[in-house]
Amino acid sequence: MGGTESISTGAARQDDLYRDAADNYSSAIARLASAYEADPEKRRDLSQDIHFQLWRSFQRYDARCSLRTWVYRVAHHVAASHVLRERKIFSNLVSLEELEMLPDKDQGQFAADQRSNLERLSVLIQQLKPLDRQVIISYLEDMDAVSIGEITGLSPGNVAMRIHRIKNILARRFHQGGGNE
Amino acid sequence: MTLEKIRQKVRELHAKTRRQLLGSLVVPFVVVGFYGFGMKEFPALQPLFAFAVAWSLVGLYFLNRGMWSAAMPGDAALSTGLEFYRREIERRRHLFRSVLLWSFAPVLLTIGTFILTLAKIGVRDRGIFPNAMPFMVLVVIWIAAYFVIRMREQRELQREIDELNDIERANR
Repeated sequence: MGGTESISTGAARQDDLYRDAADNYSSAIARLASAYEADPEKRRDLSQDIHFQLWRSFQRYDARCSLRTWVYRVAHHVAASHVLRERKIFSNLVSLEELEMLPDKDQGQFAADQRSNLERLSVLIQQLKPLDRQVIISYLEDMDAVSIGEITGLSPGNVAMRIHRIKNILARRFHQGGGNE
Repeated sequence: MTLEKIRQKVRELHAKTRRQLLGSLVVPFVVVGFYGFGMKEFPALQPLFAFAVAWSLVGLYFLNRGMWSAAMPGDAALSTGLEFYRREIERRRHLFRSVLLWSFAPVLLTIGTFILTLAKIGVRDRGIFPNAMPFMVLVVIWIAAYFVIRMREQRELQREIDELNDIERANR
Protein backbone atom coordinates (compact mmCIF):
# COMPACT_ATOMS: atom_id res chain seq x y z
CA MET A 1 0.00 0.00 0.00
CA GLY A 2 2.78 2.39 1.05
CA GLY A 3 4.69 1.40 -2.08
CA THR A 4 1.73 2.24 -4.33
CA GLU A 5 1.32 5.57 -2.59
CA SER A 6 4.94 6.53 -3.03
CA ILE A 7 4.82 5.56 -6.71
CA SER A 8 1.77 7.74 -7.30
CA THR A 9 3.37 10.60 -5.33
CA GLY A 10 6.50 10.20 -7.44
CA ALA A 11 4.46 10.26 -10.64
CA ALA A 12 2.58 13.35 -9.49
CA ARG A 13 5.87 15.07 -8.65
CA GLN A 14 7.21 14.12 -12.06
CA ASP A 15 4.13 15.60 -13.74
CA ASP A 16 4.36 18.78 -11.61
CA LEU A 17 8.02 19.26 -12.41
CA TYR A 18 7.34 18.74 -16.09
CA ARG A 19 4.45 21.26 -16.03
CA ASP A 20 6.70 23.78 -14.32
CA ALA A 21 9.47 23.24 -16.88
CA ALA A 22 7.06 23.35 -19.81
CA ASP A 23 5.50 26.59 -18.55
CA ASN A 24 8.87 28.30 -18.19
CA TYR A 25 10.99 26.82 -20.96
CA SER A 26 8.70 25.83 -23.84
CA SER A 27 9.70 28.78 -25.99
CA ALA A 28 13.40 28.24 -25.21
CA ILE A 29 13.01 24.59 -26.25
CA ALA A 30 11.36 25.67 -29.49
CA ARG A 31 14.26 28.06 -30.21
CA LEU A 32 16.76 25.35 -29.37
CA ALA A 33 15.04 22.89 -31.71
CA SER A 34 15.13 25.40 -34.54
CA ALA A 35 18.85 25.93 -34.00
CA TYR A 36 19.41 22.19 -34.38
CA GLU A 37 17.00 21.30 -37.16
CA ALA A 38 16.14 23.30 -40.28
CA ASP A 39 13.37 21.07 -41.59
CA PRO A 40 10.04 22.18 -40.01
CA GLU A 41 8.60 18.67 -39.83
CA LYS A 42 11.69 17.19 -38.21
CA ARG A 43 11.96 20.23 -35.95
CA ARG A 44 8.48 19.55 -34.60
CA ASP A 45 9.42 15.93 -33.95
CA LEU A 46 12.63 16.99 -32.23
CA SER A 47 10.75 19.44 -30.06
CA GLN A 48 8.25 16.74 -29.04
CA ASP A 49 11.10 14.36 -28.33
CA ILE A 50 12.73 16.91 -26.05
CA HIS A 51 9.48 17.36 -24.12
CA PHE A 52 9.04 13.61 -23.83
CA GLN A 53 12.60 13.02 -22.59
CA LEU A 54 12.24 15.93 -20.22
CA TRP A 55 9.13 14.39 -18.70
CA ARG A 56 10.94 11.03 -18.37
CA SER A 57 13.99 12.67 -16.82
CA PHE A 58 11.99 14.15 -13.94
CA GLN A 59 11.65 10.67 -12.44
CA ARG A 60 15.26 11.19 -11.39
CA TYR A 61 15.39 14.89 -10.67
CA ASP A 62 16.93 15.41 -7.23
CA ALA A 63 17.59 19.17 -7.34
CA ARG A 64 21.35 18.59 -7.48
CA CYS A 65 21.37 21.26 -10.16
CA SER A 66 18.91 24.00 -10.97
CA LEU A 67 15.78 23.26 -12.99
CA ARG A 68 17.10 25.46 -15.79
CA THR A 69 20.42 23.57 -16.05
CA TRP A 70 18.52 20.26 -15.99
CA VAL A 71 16.12 21.34 -18.74
CA TYR A 72 18.89 22.63 -21.00
CA ARG A 73 21.07 19.56 -20.45
CA VAL A 74 18.26 17.19 -21.39
CA ALA A 75 17.26 19.35 -24.36
CA HIS A 76 20.83 19.54 -25.68
CA HIS A 77 21.38 15.81 -25.13
CA VAL A 78 18.28 14.95 -27.16
CA ALA A 79 19.27 17.41 -29.86
CA ALA A 80 22.87 16.12 -30.01
CA SER A 81 21.58 12.56 -30.41
CA HIS A 82 19.29 13.82 -33.15
CA VAL A 83 22.23 15.45 -34.97
CA LEU A 84 24.27 12.24 -34.76
CA ARG A 85 21.35 10.13 -35.95
CA GLU A 86 20.43 12.43 -38.80
CA ARG A 87 23.82 13.29 -40.10
CA LYS A 88 24.76 12.07 -43.53
CA ILE A 89 27.46 9.47 -44.07
CA PHE A 90 29.95 12.22 -44.82
CA SER A 91 29.19 14.83 -42.23
CA ASN A 92 29.25 18.45 -43.26
CA LEU A 93 29.39 19.75 -39.72
CA VAL A 94 32.43 21.82 -38.90
CA SER A 95 34.43 22.76 -35.84
CA LEU A 96 35.01 26.39 -34.91
CA GLU A 97 38.51 26.20 -36.38
CA GLU A 98 37.16 24.96 -39.72
CA LEU A 99 34.37 27.50 -39.72
CA GLU A 100 36.88 30.31 -39.29
CA MET A 101 38.62 29.18 -42.47
CA LEU A 102 35.48 28.67 -44.54
CA PRO A 103 34.28 31.41 -46.87
CA ASP A 104 30.64 32.43 -46.46
CA LYS A 105 29.22 30.62 -49.48
CA ASP A 106 25.71 31.93 -48.93
CA GLN A 107 26.79 35.55 -48.98
CA GLY A 108 25.50 36.44 -52.45
CA GLN A 109 22.37 34.44 -51.98
CA PHE A 110 21.67 36.22 -48.73
CA ALA A 111 22.08 39.56 -50.36
CA ALA A 112 19.76 38.54 -53.18
CA ASP A 113 17.13 37.01 -50.96
CA GLN A 114 17.17 39.80 -48.41
CA ARG A 115 16.78 37.19 -45.74
CA SER A 116 16.89 38.31 -42.17
CA ASN A 117 20.02 38.29 -40.05
CA LEU A 118 18.29 35.94 -37.65
CA GLU A 119 17.87 33.35 -40.34
CA ARG A 120 21.49 33.81 -41.29
CA LEU A 121 22.51 33.24 -37.70
CA SER A 122 20.43 30.03 -37.63
CA VAL A 123 22.13 28.73 -40.77
CA LEU A 124 25.53 29.43 -39.25
CA ILE A 125 24.65 27.70 -35.97
CA GLN A 126 23.34 24.65 -37.84
CA GLN A 127 26.77 24.23 -39.44
CA LEU A 128 28.45 23.84 -36.06
CA LYS A 129 29.15 20.63 -34.21
CA PRO A 130 26.84 19.96 -31.25
CA LEU A 131 29.17 21.16 -28.49
CA ASP A 132 29.76 24.55 -30.11
CA ARG A 133 26.05 24.82 -30.83
CA GLN A 134 25.33 24.28 -27.15
CA VAL A 135 27.66 27.13 -26.27
CA ILE A 136 26.25 29.66 -28.72
CA ILE A 137 22.60 28.70 -28.15
CA SER A 138 23.04 29.06 -24.39
CA TYR A 139 24.81 32.36 -24.91
CA LEU A 140 21.93 33.60 -27.05
CA GLU A 141 19.61 32.61 -24.19
CA ASP A 142 21.48 35.17 -22.09
CA MET A 143 23.39 32.70 -19.93
CA ASP A 144 26.73 33.55 -18.42
CA ALA A 145 29.91 31.51 -18.93
CA VAL A 146 29.49 29.68 -15.59
CA SER A 147 25.94 28.51 -16.41
CA ILE A 148 27.00 27.49 -19.92
CA GLY A 149 29.88 25.58 -18.35
CA GLU A 150 27.44 23.69 -16.09
CA ILE A 151 25.45 22.58 -19.11
CA THR A 152 28.26 21.80 -21.51
CA GLY A 153 30.99 20.65 -19.12
CA LEU A 154 33.44 23.21 -20.50
CA SER A 155 35.40 25.45 -18.19
CA PRO A 156 34.18 29.07 -18.04
CA GLY A 157 37.43 30.16 -19.70
CA ASN A 158 36.92 27.72 -22.55
CA VAL A 159 33.30 28.89 -22.91
CA ALA A 160 34.38 32.53 -23.02
CA MET A 161 37.03 31.75 -25.63
CA ARG A 162 34.52 29.89 -27.82
CA ILE A 163 31.94 32.65 -27.56
CA HIS A 164 34.58 35.21 -28.52
CA ARG A 165 35.56 33.20 -31.59
CA ILE A 166 31.96 32.61 -32.67
CA LYS A 167 31.22 36.31 -32.27
CA ASN A 168 34.26 37.15 -34.39
CA ILE A 169 33.10 34.81 -37.15
CA LEU A 170 29.61 36.27 -37.02
CA ALA A 171 30.90 39.83 -37.05
CA ARG A 172 33.16 39.13 -40.01
CA ARG A 173 30.41 37.42 -41.99
CA PHE A 174 27.75 39.99 -41.23
CA HIS A 175 30.17 42.76 -42.14
CA GLN A 176 31.01 41.06 -45.45
CA GLY A 177 27.32 40.41 -46.12
CA GLY A 178 26.45 44.04 -45.33
CA GLY A 179 29.04 45.26 -47.82
CA ASN A 180 27.37 43.34 -50.60
CA GLU A 181 23.83 44.37 -49.91
CA MET B 1 3.07 19.75 -24.94
CA THR B 2 0.35 18.35 -22.68
CA LEU B 3 0.83 15.36 -20.36
CA GLU B 4 -1.83 13.46 -22.28
CA LYS B 5 0.19 13.90 -25.47
CA ILE B 6 3.30 12.68 -23.69
CA ARG B 7 1.50 9.55 -22.50
CA GLN B 8 0.36 8.98 -26.08
CA LYS B 9 4.01 9.27 -27.13
CA VAL B 10 4.97 6.65 -24.53
CA ARG B 11 2.42 4.27 -26.04
CA GLU B 12 3.71 5.03 -29.55
CA LEU B 13 7.28 4.39 -28.40
CA HIS B 14 6.33 1.00 -26.98
CA ALA B 15 4.59 0.06 -30.22
CA LYS B 16 7.61 1.22 -32.24
CA THR B 17 9.95 -0.86 -30.08
CA ARG B 18 7.82 -3.95 -30.65
CA ARG B 19 7.84 -3.29 -34.41
CA GLN B 20 11.63 -2.86 -34.42
CA LEU B 21 12.11 -6.11 -32.52
CA LEU B 22 9.88 -7.97 -34.98
CA GLY B 23 11.70 -6.28 -37.89
CA SER B 24 15.07 -7.43 -36.59
CA LEU B 25 13.83 -11.04 -36.77
CA VAL B 26 13.33 -10.76 -40.54
CA VAL B 27 17.04 -10.88 -41.50
CA PRO B 28 17.79 -14.23 -39.79
CA PHE B 29 14.70 -15.73 -41.45
CA VAL B 30 15.95 -14.56 -44.86
CA VAL B 31 19.34 -16.06 -44.01
CA VAL B 32 17.72 -19.34 -42.97
CA GLY B 33 15.76 -19.36 -46.26
CA PHE B 34 19.00 -19.03 -48.24
CA TYR B 35 20.60 -21.78 -46.20
CA GLY B 36 17.61 -24.04 -46.62
CA PHE B 37 18.19 -23.97 -50.37
CA GLY B 38 21.93 -24.64 -49.98
CA MET B 39 21.49 -27.40 -47.43
CA LYS B 40 19.05 -29.21 -49.68
CA GLU B 41 21.33 -28.99 -52.69
CA PHE B 42 24.65 -29.68 -50.96
CA PRO B 43 24.56 -31.64 -47.74
CA ALA B 44 28.36 -31.36 -47.55
CA LEU B 45 28.03 -27.62 -46.84
CA GLN B 46 25.59 -28.17 -43.98
CA PRO B 47 28.08 -27.46 -41.15
CA LEU B 48 29.00 -24.11 -42.76
CA PHE B 49 25.35 -23.17 -43.15
CA ALA B 50 24.52 -24.25 -39.62
CA PHE B 51 27.43 -22.18 -38.28
CA ALA B 52 26.27 -19.07 -40.16
CA VAL B 53 22.70 -19.50 -38.89
CA ALA B 54 23.92 -19.87 -35.31
CA TRP B 55 26.20 -16.83 -35.75
CA SER B 56 23.41 -14.59 -37.00
CA LEU B 57 21.05 -15.73 -34.24
CA VAL B 58 23.62 -15.06 -31.52
CA GLY B 59 24.33 -11.75 -33.28
CA LEU B 60 20.67 -10.87 -33.07
CA TYR B 61 20.84 -11.20 -29.31
CA PHE B 62 24.01 -9.10 -28.95
CA LEU B 63 22.86 -6.40 -31.36
CA ASN B 64 19.52 -6.01 -29.62
CA ARG B 65 21.13 -6.00 -26.20
CA GLY B 66 23.49 -3.25 -27.35
CA MET B 67 20.65 -1.17 -28.72
CA TRP B 68 18.22 -1.43 -25.85
CA SER B 69 20.74 -1.00 -23.07
CA ALA B 70 21.68 2.46 -24.34
CA ALA B 71 20.61 5.16 -21.91
CA MET B 72 18.08 7.60 -23.33
CA PRO B 73 19.03 11.26 -23.31
CA GLY B 74 16.52 11.90 -20.52
CA ASP B 75 18.38 9.49 -18.25
CA ALA B 76 21.64 11.36 -18.62
CA ALA B 77 20.67 14.76 -17.27
CA LEU B 78 23.41 14.57 -14.65
CA SER B 79 26.01 14.33 -17.43
CA THR B 80 27.33 17.44 -19.09
CA GLY B 81 27.04 18.01 -22.83
CA LEU B 82 30.68 17.05 -23.34
CA GLU B 83 30.31 13.73 -21.48
CA PHE B 84 27.05 12.84 -23.15
CA TYR B 85 28.23 13.69 -26.67
CA ARG B 86 31.41 11.67 -26.26
CA ARG B 87 29.42 8.68 -24.97
CA GLU B 88 27.02 8.93 -27.91
CA ILE B 89 29.87 8.98 -30.44
CA GLU B 90 31.57 6.04 -28.73
CA ARG B 91 28.28 4.15 -28.62
CA ARG B 92 27.79 4.77 -32.34
CA ARG B 93 31.30 3.56 -33.09
CA HIS B 94 30.74 0.46 -30.98
CA LEU B 95 27.39 -0.20 -32.64
CA PHE B 96 29.04 -0.06 -36.05
CA ARG B 97 31.61 -2.66 -34.98
CA SER B 98 28.86 -4.86 -33.53
CA VAL B 99 26.87 -4.63 -36.76
CA LEU B 100 29.98 -5.67 -38.71
CA LEU B 101 30.68 -8.61 -36.43
CA TRP B 102 27.18 -9.87 -35.73
CA SER B 103 25.18 -8.92 -38.77
CA PHE B 104 27.36 -8.15 -41.76
CA ALA B 105 29.86 -10.99 -41.24
CA PRO B 106 27.21 -13.78 -41.18
CA VAL B 107 25.67 -12.21 -44.28
CA LEU B 108 29.11 -12.30 -45.95
CA LEU B 109 29.49 -15.94 -44.97
CA THR B 110 26.03 -16.63 -46.40
CA ILE B 111 26.88 -14.93 -49.67
CA GLY B 112 30.23 -16.72 -49.83
CA THR B 113 28.58 -20.07 -49.24
CA PHE B 114 25.85 -19.23 -51.72
CA ILE B 115 28.47 -18.40 -54.38
CA LEU B 116 30.24 -21.67 -53.55
CA THR B 117 26.92 -23.46 -54.02
CA LEU B 118 26.39 -21.74 -57.37
CA ALA B 119 29.93 -22.67 -58.43
CA LYS B 120 29.27 -26.31 -57.52
CA ILE B 121 26.03 -26.29 -59.48
CA GLY B 122 28.00 -24.65 -62.32
CA VAL B 123 30.29 -27.64 -62.46
CA ARG B 124 27.25 -29.87 -62.99
CA ASP B 125 25.38 -27.52 -65.29
CA ARG B 126 27.86 -25.26 -67.08
CA GLY B 127 25.33 -22.56 -67.95
CA ILE B 128 24.56 -21.32 -64.43
CA PHE B 129 27.90 -19.96 -63.20
CA PRO B 130 28.66 -17.61 -66.15
CA ASN B 131 25.07 -16.40 -66.07
CA ALA B 132 25.40 -15.55 -62.40
CA MET B 133 28.62 -13.57 -62.92
CA PRO B 134 27.01 -10.10 -63.25
CA PHE B 135 25.11 -10.72 -60.02
CA MET B 136 28.26 -11.79 -58.23
CA VAL B 137 30.22 -8.79 -59.51
CA LEU B 138 27.46 -6.53 -58.20
CA VAL B 139 27.56 -8.27 -54.83
CA VAL B 140 31.34 -7.81 -54.60
CA ILE B 141 31.03 -4.10 -55.54
CA TRP B 142 28.31 -3.66 -52.92
CA ILE B 143 30.45 -5.27 -50.22
CA ALA B 144 33.49 -3.16 -51.16
CA ALA B 145 31.45 0.07 -51.23
CA TYR B 146 29.87 -0.74 -47.88
CA PHE B 147 33.30 -1.21 -46.32
CA VAL B 148 34.79 1.95 -47.82
CA ILE B 149 31.86 4.11 -46.72
CA ARG B 150 31.70 2.64 -43.22
CA MET B 151 35.45 2.93 -42.71
CA ARG B 152 35.32 6.60 -43.64
CA GLU B 153 32.49 7.06 -41.18
CA GLN B 154 34.59 5.33 -38.51
CA ARG B 155 37.54 7.62 -39.21
CA GLU B 156 35.28 10.64 -38.91
CA LEU B 157 33.92 9.46 -35.57
CA GLN B 158 37.47 8.87 -34.35
CA ARG B 159 38.43 12.37 -35.46
CA GLU B 160 35.55 13.75 -33.43
CA ILE B 161 36.61 11.78 -30.37
CA ASP B 162 40.13 13.21 -30.78
CA GLU B 163 38.66 16.71 -30.98
CA LEU B 164 36.70 16.12 -27.79
CA ASN B 165 39.91 14.87 -26.13
CA ASP B 166 41.63 18.11 -27.16
CA ILE B 167 38.75 20.13 -25.73
CA GLU B 168 38.98 18.19 -22.47
CA ARG B 169 42.71 18.83 -22.27
CA ALA B 170 42.14 22.54 -22.87
CA ASN B 171 39.50 22.43 -20.12
CA ARG B 172 42.00 21.39 -17.42
